[in-house]
Amino acid sequence: MKMEEATRFTSRCINGEPASCSFACPFHLDMRSFLEKAGKGRWAAAYKELKKSVVFPVIVSTLCDQPCRERCQRTLTGDEPIAIRDIEAAVVRYAKSRKPEAYFIPPKTQTVAVVGAGLAGLSCALGLAEKKYQVTVFEAREGWGGCLREHSEFEKFDEDIKLQFSAVSVEFKFGKEIKSLDELDGFDAIYIATGQDGSSFGLSDSWDSEMLITSNPKVFMGGGLCGASPMEAIAQGNELSKTIETFLQTGNVIKSPGGYDKSYCGRYLDHEDARSVPLVKATGADGYSEQEAKQEAQRCLKCDCEKCMRSCEMLALFRKKPHRMAIEVFTDSQSGSLSSRTMTRETYSCNICGYCKSICPESVDLGELLRFSRTARMNAGTHPAALHDFWLREMDFSTGEGEFRIVPDNSEYVFFPGCQLGASNPEHVYGAYNYLREKYNAGIYTSCCGAPAYWAGDEKRMNGNVERIKREWSEMGEPVFVFACATCESIFSIFMPEIKRISLYELLAKDESIVPAEAFSSASVFDPCAARGDENMMEGVRTLAQRGGIQLEELKEKNRCCGYGGHMRIANPKLYDQITENRSRAGDKPYIVYCANCREVFASREKECRHILDLVFGLETGLDIPSLEEKRKNSLNIKKTLLKELTGVDFVPEAHEWDSLKLEIPRDVQKEMDERLISESDLKETIWMAEKNEDRFYNETEDVYTASMVKPVLTYWVKYKKKAPEVFEILEAYYHRMHFIEE
Amino acid sequence: MAKMNEEKTWKCGKCNEELKKKKTLFEYMGHKFSHEVPTCPKCGKVFISKELAEGRMAEVEEQLEDK
Ligand code: SF4
Ligand code: SF4
Ligand SMILES: [Zn+2]
Repeated sequence: MKMEEATRFTSRCINGEPASCSFACPFHLDMRSFLEKAGKGRWAAAYKELKKSVVFPVIVSTLCDQPCRERCQRTLTGDEPIAIRDIEAAVVRYAKSRKPEAYFIPPKTQTVAVVGAGLAGLSCALGLAEKKYQVTVFEAREGWGGCLREHSEFEKFDEDIKLQFSAVSVEFKFGKEIKSLDELDGFDAIYIATGQDGSSFGLSDSWDSEMLITSNPKVFMGGGLCGASPMEAIAQGNELSKTIETFLQTGNVIKSPGGYDKSYCGRYLDHEDARSVPLVKATGADGYSEQEAKQEAQRCLKCDCEKCMRSCEMLALFRKKPHRMAIEVFTDSQSGSLSSRTMTRETYSCNICGYCKSICPESVDLGELLRFSRTARMNAGTHPAALHDFWLREMDFSTGEGEFRIVPDNSEYVFFPGCQLGASNPEHVYGAYNYLREKYNAGIYTSCCGAPAYWAGDEKRMNGNVERIKREWSEMGEPVFVFACATCESIFSIFMPEIKRISLYELLAKDESIVPAEAFSSASVFDPCAARGDENMMEGVRTLAQRGGIQLEELKEKNRCCGYGGHMRIANPKLYDQITENRSRAGDKPYIVYCANCREVFASREKECRHILDLVFGLETGLDIPSLEEKRKNSLNIKKTLLKELTGVDFVPEAHEWDSLKLEIPRDVQKEMDERLISESDLKETIWMAEKNEDRFYNETEDVYTASMVKPVLTYWVKYKKKAPEVFEILEAYYHRMHFIEE
Repeated sequence: MAKMNEEKTWKCGKCNEELKKKKTLFEYMGHKFSHEVPTCPKCGKVFISKELAEGRMAEVEEQLEDK
């Protein structure tokens, strides 16, 4: 993997970038950090931050016309922008020590001439002198300050300049007008900053406004001479000191990195949760008191996008910023067996639900980043296979023994129920298919769309499945597929866009004769994450529910993942619990769902909910969830029933020697098995093998047995009691992922 | 970590032997390590209790996955 392959997913993320106001500030003052310090009354630290950017804090806090205030997002709560200049003045006033720092770096031998001791020349001279270059300032007038010399508050400004130059050594030559640049021949670099009506020494035609260079490689030019305002002149001089330093070191002029795009001033966040706080007014005549300044600074919203990290439980849990996540996805891909990876748990804890993308102002999709990581790790063989093993085996079943198709000639539609709808409730498949068959002469094709492979990052399985489905589709005469599952439909839209799709709910909604049961007087439709953007599907469900007389109340957040997405629950059971809990509390009203997985999640949380197909077909399903074993049986039964009914073929499911065993599983054990995704047939197989070979452990006192079965990914264990020849009571069922190596 | 006297409570069903603690080599995510677990002294069959599987072993598994 190359670094860019990972970082391309997050390159547009604006987290950590300056806020809109900082983009508007000529000095690009880091407003968030400055106001954070001021808000805590850390005056010295705030002063240091201010001085670093604005060079002359007194001058700037008096004269700046505050373009930042026009870009302050405080106005979004209906308040006045932060009184930044008043806070700056307070910071200057309350900072105990304002003595500039002395820089302990060795003096340089290179010399720089600055022509003009106005604001542009001074800030550049100061910047270079702090780096210990030999700086000489030439000024025609009898002192520094340029255009400020006539200002009524010049005395105050003069103090500031004196203070800032007190820790460096710069030679000032006042009363010395430079007539020709020849006089400065001996200098290694020259900065012309002669002010508004000053001389450009004939170089103004060759001046580059972006780089401040001229046709003479060692001569730079800027400030009021070139039309800069006093504030811009200071900022420019300071920036230029860095450019000149690079020039002196390398002989090249390079644009300093991290260019400021003024258009970013307009990048506002939505501040949904921010409350209005009015501007703090100064009570005294000299501006803010310490308390007032602190309070005003605290009004800063610290605008920085963290939207995804605040909305997604997974991102909130791991607290990693998007840019960092991308870098770690890359470093993880590089680490061998000795160095450690840092993103495994995050990678496999994501629902791949796309919610982050849907709310991100820059449409960054972190789920895609993590799915990319899963794929890379699967391809490299460094994936924890146990985390997705169960679902991949389910996929093998659904595309193997569980698969079937019955397609009458010339069917325009073929129903693709997906693997879960029938497994969870066969009546949904029977109901929907009978309807589609009668009305449209539709066929049926049950298989798996490939979501387990997609979520596991199993490219090979995914591609194989896609090829197979495409083949089947073409053999069927390229019908339109009718989907009941949003995940299937979205997988098809990504991998098999040539297959025409329609949602079952859209078809049902079109038929005015269908009037669903009024199961609730009012309810909320819980749209699955995979339905995001599929307006027809989402609308269809609403139309049906409303036709049934149900009053709908929209949920605040739409298309959030119920928790099932990404198959993350084995990787992070605690997070899974938190997510499923949060989703079931997202609305007070009962839910109407149209995804079998959503239904099971909410049923497991005892949240009142019904599948829309229950209402359409008048079914009475409660909150029960079939066990893993029952689900497989349901799928096979549908196949058997429909094949018999429609084609007369007798389908005989694969038989196993252990099928005849009867297990008595207490409720609590069954619950644990469901959580860990251990199925009854795994246990039957284990017991059957153990009993046959007497290959098990025996506890004489309690008269119980323990047996194990090693499978490629997991080793299953079961503790049981023999009740009758083929009847066993299950006491414990568990597994581990590591293997023991027998010597 | 192993429960009180699993060696005494359980017998190998095949060999009818009491179990004995024995160093066993484990492998996971490309890492190898050894640990003492109850084992049949005769046929070498290893016994893992639920407590061990879902306790210390699960912890180590998670650590190795995260590594
Ligand atoms: S929502 Fe997240 S990914 Fe998008 S810009 Fe904000 S912090 Fe970055
Ligand atoms: S895809 Fe979903 S679970 Fe993953 S990071 Fe985005 S919002 Fe969170
Ligand atoms: Zn033995």
